[in-house]
Parts: sequence; C-alpha cells; structure tokens
Amino acid sequence: MNAGPALGASDKLTFLLSLVPYLMDHESVSVSTVAAHFGVSPERVRDAVNLIAMSGIPGETRQYLHGDLFDIHWDEFETNDNIVLTHLVAIDDSPRFSAREAAALIAGLQYLSSLPENADVEAIASLMAKLTRSASATPSQVVVSSTEPGEAIALIKAAVARGVQIEFDYLSSRGGHEARHVDPMRIESVDRDWYLRGWCHLRGAMRTFRLDRMSGLRVTDVPAGSGSAGSLPDTLFQGSDSDLEVVVELPAAAVPLLADYAPQSAGPDAADGLVRQSIRVAHFHGLKRIVAGLSGLVTVIGPPEARALTRDWAAAGAARYDEAVPGDREG
Amino acid sequence: MSTIPDKPSRVSVEERLFSLVLALIATEIGLTKAEILSTVQGYRQRYAVGGDNASLERQFERDKDDIRELGIPLETVEPPDDPGSNHHLRYRIPKGLYELPADVSFSADELMLLKLAATVWREGSLSGESRRALTKLNSLGIDSTDPVLGYSPTLRVRDASFEPLSKAMDRGQIVAFQYLKPGEGLPRRRRVAPQAVVLHEGRWHLFGTDEDAQATRTFLLSRIVGPVVTVPGATFVPGGAGKGQEALAELDALWRANLAEITVEPGSDAAVRLSKRQAVEPGRDPGESTVALHYTDLDILADELAGYGPEVLVRSPSALRTAVLARLIRVRDAHADAFLESDAEKEGTE
Repeated sequence: MNAGPALGASDKLTFLLSLVPYLMDHESVSVSTVAAHFGVSPERVRDAVNLIAMSGIPGETRQYLHGDLFDIHWDEFETNDNIVLTHLVAIDDSPRFSAREAAALIAGLQYLSSLPENADVEAIASLMAKLTRSASATPSQVVVSSTEPGEAIALIKAAVARGVQIEFDYLSSRGGHEARHVDPMRIESVDRDWYLRGWCHLRGAMRTFRLDRMSGLRVTDVPAGSGSAGSLPDTLFQGSDSDLEVVVELPAAAVPLLADYAPQSAGPDAADGLVRQSIRVAHFHGLKRIVAGLSGLVTVIGPPEARALTRDWAAAGAARYDEAVPGDREG
Repeated sequence: MSTIPDKPSRVSVEERLFSLVLALIATEIGLTKAEILSTVQGYRQRYAVGGDNASLERQFERDKDDIRELGIPLETVEPPDDPGSNHHLRYRIPKGLYELPADVSFSADELMLLKLAATVWREGSLSGESRRALTKLNSLGIDSTDPVLGYSPTLRVRDASFEPLSKAMDRGQIVAFQYLKPGEGLPRRRRVAPQAVVLHEGRWHLFGTDEDAQATRTFLLSRIVGPVVTVPGATFVPGGAGKGQEALAELDALWRANLAEITVEPGSDAAVRLSKRQAVEPGRDPGESTVALHYTDLDILADELAGYGPEVLVRSPSALRTAVLARLIRVRDAHADAFLESDAEKEGTE
C-alpha cells in the first residue's frame, strides 16, 4: 500500500512498535521481505532496525546498559541485510488500535459493505466487532450509512475485471447527450456523488464522469487499455485554461460554500457584510444551476451574459408554478 | 553496543517517543516525571540537575498527548499515601491494555478486506489513521493478497470541519462554529457537544447537543462556514458506542417519513439524475416524468431542486413547493435589472 508522502513522528513510532513484534515472530528475515510486507522502502526498514537495536529502557542503573537494550545479530544485518533479533526489551506484542484508527477502518468497512460485491454482511459485522475489541478506547463515532450506488458499479467492476471498454450515453453538464466509450479505471465518491475515472476514447484523454449522468451503460467486448497508459492524476478535477471567470456578490460567511470554484476577492466589499468574489466555472450553464441552488445567497454581478442566464433560469423555473395547479400533469 | 553514549547530540523525535513508551511499559509501579526527565533517552540529555526544566516538562506534556493519540494507554497513577499530589504522580503504560487482546486474530481474507477499508480514506481526514492501523495490522505478520486496485472505491471528505470535529468528539470537548442553516441568509454561532459524525445520503452530518438550546441537533458539515474551535475548559462525557448508529437511525427514519413528488422534464439533467434516486413505493407506478424522492431536510432539498430551474416542478408537499418557488423568485429578482437587450436570442437553448 502507499506509505504516504509526509510521514510524521507518529507514523514512525507506530512503525517501530509494529516492527518489533513482527521481528520477534520471524527468527531471521531479510530487509527486503520486511519492506515488502509493510509496504515501505528498504531504507526505512534499515533506519528503524538501527534505531531499535540502540534502544531500550534505562534499567536499574538508569544507564541503558547492554542488557537493557534490544540487540540484533549485527554481522547478519550488515553483511547479509538480514534481521535477527537477539535480545528483547519491554514489548512483545502488537499495539492496540487507537479510537480513531479503529473508527477509520470500521467506517471504511461500512462503506464497503454497501457495495454489491461486499455483501457478506456477517463477515463484516464480525470484523467490526473485532476491531472494536482491539481498540484501546471506544472507536470514534464516525458512521457511514449504506448507499445504493446502483447497478452501474457492478457493471463497471465487471468491465475492469475483464479488461474491456464500457459504453454509455452521457449527459454533459451543458445539457448535451453523447455516446461515450471509456476504459474504466477507478470509481470514486465524493460525499454523495459517484464518479468514474477512465480513458475517454471520444476525447482521447483521461476524463471523470458522474455516474448519475450516465444512462444505457453497457459492457462491451472491446479490449481496454491500448491508449490509456497514463496514470491517474490524484485530483478529481483540474482547472482548465478555458474556465470562465465570474464575479459574484455574497455574504462573507457564505464564501466557503463556493470553495470548489476557487473564490478570490474581486474588488471592494459592498455594504451589509456582502463581499465580491471572482469564481471560475467551466461554463455559464453550470453557473446558473449553482447560483439557483444557493437559495438567493449568491448574486451574479458579471459578465452580463452570466447574469442574464441566471435570471432567465430562475425566472423560467418560477414561471412553471404560474402555469400549473398542484396535481395537474404537464402536457 | 554496550551503553548509549551520553553525548548531548540531538535525539530524534521518534527515538525519544519510542524510549518513553518502552520505559513506561517496563515499569510496574510507574515513573515520576522527574524520573522520566532525568533518565529516559531524549530527555536525560537535556535535563538540568537542580535547574529549570520547564521547557523539557512542556515537551513531556506534548509527548504524552501524542502517545495517547496513537491509542497507547498512558496512565497516571496517584500515590496511595499522597493522593492529589501532582509532584508524586506516576506514569505508566499497562501492558495488558497496550497489547492487542490475545484472542483477537485476523484471517488473510479479513486482512484483505481491512486493507481495502483503509484505502477508502484516500486523502485528508482519517487517511493517516488508516495508514497507522494498517501498519499495526502488518505487525501480525499475516500474509494476504493485495486487494484489486483497478476498482478502488474511495471516500473524500471535503469538509474542513471533519477533522477538528471528530477530534473534539474523541476528547469530549465542546466546540463552537458559525453555522449557516439551509434556508437562512446569515450564520449563527453554535456551541455543540459533538457526539457523532455521520455520512447519510452522501452528506456528512454532525450529531450533537446544542449547548444553548440544550437539545440534540443535527448539523450539515458543508454548512459550517467558519473554523471549528474548542471552547476552553468546556467538556462533556461522550455518549460512547452506539451514538453514531443512533444518529443514523434518526436520520433514516426522517428520510423515510418525508416524500416529495416532482415532475421532471424528460431527458433533462434533473430527469437523468433525480430518477436514479426514485423512491420505491409499492403499488405505485410512477410515470416517466414523475419522481418521488425521500429526504431528510426540506430546505436542503429545496436548494437542490431550485438549482434545476425549469427542469423540475414540485407537486408536493406544498411547503416544499413554496420553498422552491420562493428561492427561484429570490434569485430571479436579485438578477432582474439591466441587460434586457441581449436576452431574447439566448432563451430556449435547452
């Protein structure tokens, strides 16, 4: 697994405390085996072993004498890159999980259990109980409810497993329908929304698709992967040079609601605690939906086209209530 | 390797913490602070005999917090003959509470599932915790196949308040934050005892006791618009296991009880997306353009539906109808002035 970029002291301490019992269970083990097992670099294993071998307890003399320290077979370590623990101090078993560590795994399991192929509810429930017992405190109350991502996920997973393309009708955020052929690579969810990331053959590029905008999803027999050697960027969305800048006015406190659109201060603040911010959007048709969905908190100042589109969108929405009586069907 | 040389060279943070943990596990009766500072590797090098050790003491306080944060049960023992004395407090880590219970073991299949569960937290909140939990699991030496990575469902938490809230929850600290309630225009400061953080219907909720209202409230993390700060000195006793499930059950019950009926424009964004959330109602055959939606909060759903503009028409309940219409009128009127000349051609593009 990934060792992560910035490892703090807590990661390093956890590694030391975990490495000792592992080494105890293995009479002699190579640095490379340990590195592979823990998913870390061989250098990190060597550093840790060096530190462990020099560590111990103050002891009765409070002088950290030889018998109060861990020891290893130094020749084996320095010559053959093998680790043999020859003397142990203080610890002899794996540490418990913290409340938050247990909670992270439990919430992860809850999330997985809502997916179709992890439907073994009993196995997951027993695993959660084990984690709870293995934690040094009551696991943090972070709870993930089951969601119903629908059959799309099962289909996409089947396509990934078979290494084939999928095809579907995609409704773009501009409102256009297009048939897409995609090499599926990964499914991610952000809060309530599910996304498919993969190589889009129509665009010839890596693309992110919302699952709820797909229809007619079908697994094909066309092999995937020929042109999609690139790796996935870690961010779901990248800003684009073609993004449009829009100036909006809103209460200062509401600026965080627009965090996805990189708000920047745009000119002097208006009266009544209102501020002007410029945000970046892919197109004005997306903007009008965002603004209409913020219950009047945000007003578009410019450009004029964006302002007019937003007004017309809301006006057309409001007008529907003039024409219809509740209970009527639309013609 | 006979003894560690007494040189005053810098001892790394992990070496100091590791030495502290070893020393506190090895002691049965515990060590006093003075004993720790004067003898344990990483402290003793900086200890001034008979001098001022204030900064070293602060270091020890921080180290204690860091160690506890990792789930290591660092205990404080009061001397029986001198209760209440800070001076003679002893510190130790009881081995039985430090170690994984002997009867807990994980199979290779279980380990694979746990690895997958850890990768769910891809970044930010709880990803560090998942990573450290995996390291601890790896210490058990169980070999397992790696989960299939081509398909890796991940959960991203965008809300910056998640981290401070969940930490305050573990520590039993009361927090304060500015909350912009859906449907309202101005935020209000709330003081809350956080009891659970719950992902329900794709939204993160905070479940806790509103200290001013003295009642249980649910907050949307996405609507916390300022920093989450702890209220100095204000603590509470966490409700313990089950609070999360309790919160979830409440949200679920609310969600099931509320049903909205909406007409959607066929082929539109609203039709494609909302129909995927169609409520299953026995004995009811929804037409192609009618969608029934469960919801937990009327104002949140009203916000969302207003975003669809003319693509949706709310049928019921009437309070939702009113709320959506009011939002649309507000947005329309806020943009009403000017630019009348260039509009005509831009209409009807849907």
